[in-house]
Amino acid sequence: MTARTFAGRVLLAAPTGLRRVRKDPAYVLLAFLLTSAPLIAQSGEWTTYSGQLSAQRYSPLTQITPATVGKLRPAWVYQPPGTGSIEATPVVVNGVMYVTAGPTMVAALDLRSGKPLWEWTRPIAPSILNLGFPRVNRGVAYLDNTVYVGTLDGYLFALDARAGTERWSVHVGENPTGHSITAAPLVVDNKVIVGISGGEAGIRGFLDAYDAKTGKRLWRYWTVPSPGEPGSDTWPGDSWVHGGGATWLTGSYDPHLMLLYWGTGNPGPDWNGDSCIGDNYGTSSLLALDVETGKLRWTFQFTPHDVHDWDANQIPVLVDAEINGRTRQVVVAANRNAFFYVLDRATGEYLLGQPYAKQTWAKGLDEKGRPILIPNMEPTEKGTLVYPSLQGSTNWASPSYSPQTNMLYVPVREMGSIYFKTGVEYKPGTYYTGGSEKRLDEESWGAVRAIDVRTGTQAWDFPLPTPTWAGVMATAGGLVFSGSPEGNFFALDARTGKALWQFQTGGAIRSGPMSYFAFDKQYVAVAGGHALFVFALE
Amino acid sequence: MRRHISALIVMGVLLTGRPTHAAAQARGALPPVSASTDLAAGKKVFDAQCAWCHGTDGDGGTGPNLRGKLRHATDFRSITDIVSNGIAGTDMPAFSGPLTERARTQTAAYVQSLSRAVPRPVAGNSRRGAELYQSTGCGGCHVIAGSGGIVGPELTEIATRRGPAYLRESIVRPAASHPNGYLVVRAVPKSGAEVRGVRVNEDVFWIHIRDAGGTVHTLEKAELTRVDRETDASLMPSYESRLSAPQLDDVVAYLSTLRGAK
Repeated sequence: MTARTFAGRVLLAAPTGLRRVRKDPAYVLLAFLLTSAPLIAQSGEWTTYSGQLSAQRYSPLTQITPATVGKLRPAWVYQPPGTGSIEATPVVVNGVMYVTAGPTMVAALDLRSGKPLWEWTRPIAPSILNLGFPRVNRGVAYLDNTVYVGTLDGYLFALDARAGTERWSVHVGENPTGHSITAAPLVVDNKVIVGISGGEAGIRGFLDAYDAKTGKRLWRYWTVPSPGEPGSDTWPGDSWVHGGGATWLTGSYDPHLMLLYWGTGNPGPDWNGDSCIGDNYGTSSLLALDVETGKLRWTFQFTPHDVHDWDANQIPVLVDAEINGRTRQVVVAANRNAFFYVLDRATGEYLLGQPYAKQTWAKGLDEKGRPILIPNMEPTEKGTLVYPSLQGSTNWASPSYSPQTNMLYVPVREMGSIYFKTGVEYKPGTYYTGGSEKRLDEESWGAVRAIDVRTGTQAWDFPLPTPTWAGVMATAGGLVFSGSPEGNFFALDARTGKALWQFQTGGAIRSGPMSYFAFDKQYVAVAGGHALFVFALE
Repeated sequence: MRRHISALIVMGVLLTGRPTHAAAQARGALPPVSASTDLAAGKKVFDAQCAWCHGTDGDGGTGPNLRGKLRHATDFRSITDIVSNGIAGTDMPAFSGPLTERARTQTAAYVQSLSRAVPRPVAGNSRRGAELYQSTGCGGCHVIAGSGGIVGPELTEIATRRGPAYLRESIVRPAASHPNGYLVVRAVPKSGAEVRGVRVNEDVFWIHIRDAGGTVHTLEKAELTRVDRETDASLMPSYESRLSAPQLDDVVAYLSTLRGAK
């Protein structure tokens, strides 16, 4: 399989090296055409974690439609070595699929047979810490015959895509203090951008950029300001040192604005905010960073002084849509705190916000998008019932946007929790949380929910028996794919939410679906439990 | 300093019955406190974090009764380990995240004190309770030591999981709570009779219901007009009016003896 196989169906994604020619008017025009509405890579491949740099997770492929999806059947199944579950979204580039499994392994799979061309495993000792998250890996980035993967013990590896051999590695974060990597890196502008996990261990979050060829670190952006930096007045004393703000999921990128969009996690400690009274600037926020320098262009904080662990790491989706009667370039996010937001992606201006799931902590948002708090919703020693639960109204599972419908499809978790506050002390390599929750499991449920990004209103809702951890993918064929904790992989009508097809994978789906084109067929892939399933029309 | 060491040794004796080990462990990890302070602090944590499942005073609820011999722990260290790391394959979570090391130790001390407390006397006569269990037909739905029906939960080890108060409530008001796997659901097909029973399994598109007769129905949701989750219902009838108060005591006394294989 070569890239040529895709010829005729491929309008290449915006070139990652666009920065070098950005002042040439012709390239500026090309960049604009490629990256403005609908801001999608018209490709038979799936080259990055979220499908496109815009993170729309929208497949332009049209072979599988509401009329044909009934004939979707498994083509092959891959089970990685070991017992780690698969939470990754595969990428498909140059006729090869690259997928990861926990705790850290990468497989290159032949698209025709599903058999591995190579498998690379990072030895992960039982003593390696994963405080606050499972021992998983969520995917790779790809550029120029190189596959990039973060490891549970805090390294970034560059592997030769042809053989899985190691080209370089860098130590991103110290695992004995809880630093770890589970997110897929993002390749933009010949840089590998990688975030860090460890918010429950009292780390100070950062986002790194590395030279894709050499592994040299080009910049590091600290999410929590040190004394004297902007926002440091929101961090009393030395609370910033263990202030959290982890960057544990993949971001998005606008090559026209040359801005990276990345979410940050909650402040530390999670549920006992007594030591960090203040807004805790930089946490539970969206960052817009200059990709060249790593400097902050703007930031928007969804949940100031978050004491419910409502990380804002949900993948920011870049959309061009008519907002308040005017076509705008915006970034949209269904946040863990139960509100849906629309921000201008050049300036960070708050344009629109609506609750999209049950919440009991805020009366609403003010004119700048700041939550208007309901009193006494903080965790207490005796417990405080709040919706949503600490896992939030949505979590790391990817949303998807269809420019055909102007809808953002969100994996939703409807659940409340009783939040407790306990004592807390920082000890390196241990939890730094100061509380817990008791979830109201029996009254919980899930959904795939369609939100019209132009108004923030719900277009339709497809309920699930339990809160979901499955990502969503919309397609130009008019479908929305997602899964359930009970193992169902299903296709819905993108306009109505009506179920059209389903397959029982036999394992909980905690991964994002993707789609690619090969051998004159559209394929759809998703992981369920310990196996990766690939489907095509019979 | 001398007084501190003495206090630690006293605490160690109280917690483990083995002064040298406990004193050494405490000396290395925790500042000195008095045993009574420790237990009071442990009770406070227990009431907030643990009583949801284990019941007030550890009498059991959806989680095991902690009064009397513990199934998974034999000494202070193993109780501390369970509080910290949870029990794999059960609903017992790890508290190494929510609680500091000191709070976990205090909680474990309180749990150990519960396990050593003199069991509360159970009113009633277990022998008569066993006879009532048979004559009332409880075995039609419940298994004990391999014998009985399958509609209700097995009771072979019920005393290790539930205290007397919970057991009595379950007989008088079975709908007050239900164990995992016994949610009552009612499915109404587009055509044909409705099916009501215990939900055996459910996914997005299918639901499996075991009715009161033990038959499992496999139903496709697309063929149903509605599925109701009756969270405040039980297939088990109330025995409040069928048994006298002394008879209820007897049955509870019998169930409180069921701790599995000796």
